[in-house]
Amino acid sequence: MTKVAIIDYGRGNVRSVANAVEYCGVDAAVTADAQIIDDATHIILPGVGAFGDAMIALRARGLPDVLYRQVFEKGKPFLGVCLGMQLLADRSAEHGDHVGLGWISGDVIRLEPGPDALKIPHMGWNDISVTRPHALMARLRSEQLNFYFVHSHHFRVDDPEAVIAVCGHGAPFVAVVGKDNLVAAQFHPEKSQDSGIEILENFIAWTP
Amino acid sequence: MLKKRIIPKFLLRNGRLVKYVRFFEQEREAGNPISTARVYNDYGVDEFIILDIAANEDSRRGVLESIAEMSEQIFMPFTVGGGVRTLGQINDLLRAGADKVSLNTQAVREPNFVKTAAQTFGDQCLTVSIDYKEFARGVFRVFTDGGRKKTPHEPVEWALRMQDMNCGEILITPIDRDGTLSGYDIDMVVRLSEALDIPLVVSGGCGGLQHCIDAFNAGASAVGISSLFLFTDHSPIKLRSHLVSNGINVRASTSSRN
Repeated sequence: MTKVAIIDYGRGNVRSVANAVEYCGVDAAVTADAQIIDDATHIILPGVGAFGDAMIALRARGLPDVLYRQVFEKGKPFLGVCLGMQLLADRSAEHGDHVGLGWISGDVIRLEPGPDALKIPHMGWNDISVTRPHALMARLRSEQLNFYFVHSHHFRVDDPEAVIAVCGHGAPFVAVVGKDNLVAAQFHPEKSQDSGIEILENFIAWTP
Repeated sequence: MLKKRIIPKFLLRNGRLVKYVRFFEQEREAGNPISTARVYNDYGVDEFIILDIAANEDSRRGVLESIAEMSEQIFMPFTVGGGVRTLGQINDLLRAGADKVSLNTQAVREPNFVKTAAQTFGDQCLTVSIDYKEFARGVFRVFTDGGRKKTPHEPVEWALRMQDMNCGEILITPIDRDGTLSGYDIDMVVRLSEALDIPLVVSGGCGGLQHCIDAFNAGASAVGISSLFLFTDHSPIKLRSHLVSNGINVRASTSSRN
């Protein structure tokens, strides 16, 4: 039976992710417990707080090793959301220089306001373009491809083949990235109404 | 391209949706917040702002319960505020289902609190709400404590200082326009949106569709609306189609109901 572990590292709005997963009709557990994570079939790493602080919180709970085993040894489907996507990178320049999980190669850098003096954080709904077919984006019609973003940094992914969708705020940036059983979105599916629920349904149905 | 946002703004007092004119006059009951939010959700608004104006212990608990209930059914962002003084309160709101927390009086009492909160919870989840009045011609001052207390701060300078404290967004409400349906304070929207690097949500005075177009053309990232939706026959659907036909980049509806 499908059961989604939503990784709780102590801060922020993880309840909404659980609510959205439960709305899709499957069980969700908000947890940092290795046993409960082991019992789950799917894992979501939600995005809250700042990068450096989040890595400290993950390490304090022993989560990098727990998650590594689930993702790389057991091959469970894994979804990173917002900061939970950025944490997959090698490093981030958010308020300093921080080492990430390093599961998808690349680094996290600040969005630039550019010549149009765009507002940052990039906050609100924006359109994405799918660059490579992926189960996560299945059945979404083109007019549904807009999602809720709120972030000041973005994941510069090294391998162009890992990119699944891009978005633009001034310059283009990676909106969805994936490799093997890992997939991650810069936007918040749990805050993106019907389009976001479809993404979560696709994730739950995904057999990588 | 990033869309302009339409955000219903709810004032809660003891679990009920209420609305005033100029913050204190003509209190009106405006219904149950959860059922109202559900209707707006079906209409495809872009976010919600929910402010607890009673801000006592009971009301605070009621707001936490309302947010928890709303976030079970409504999958879009919530900004919640009203009487928030501590990191613990911010944490409680975020864990109940809020995505952003709005600070007002506490930011004035202790500006560094905004910075501490931003470091703890992330810049993007702190909104600073600024209520202000023009008390002499061209002279504006920030007010706190639900519009009761005048401060020495000028709104644009204050907004810039709050941006330096790493807040993620500014929400403004001119007290004298609140609930009057007389239009946004466009001069202030222009001044603030030119000065700020972070998004600006404007509220206070929206009484017609053209007012929203004016605010967006003046540089607003989002419009906060209450009376227009609560007390006139304008709906978010009508507003959105009017904005689209006037070339404003708002989210196209994907729901079959729109």
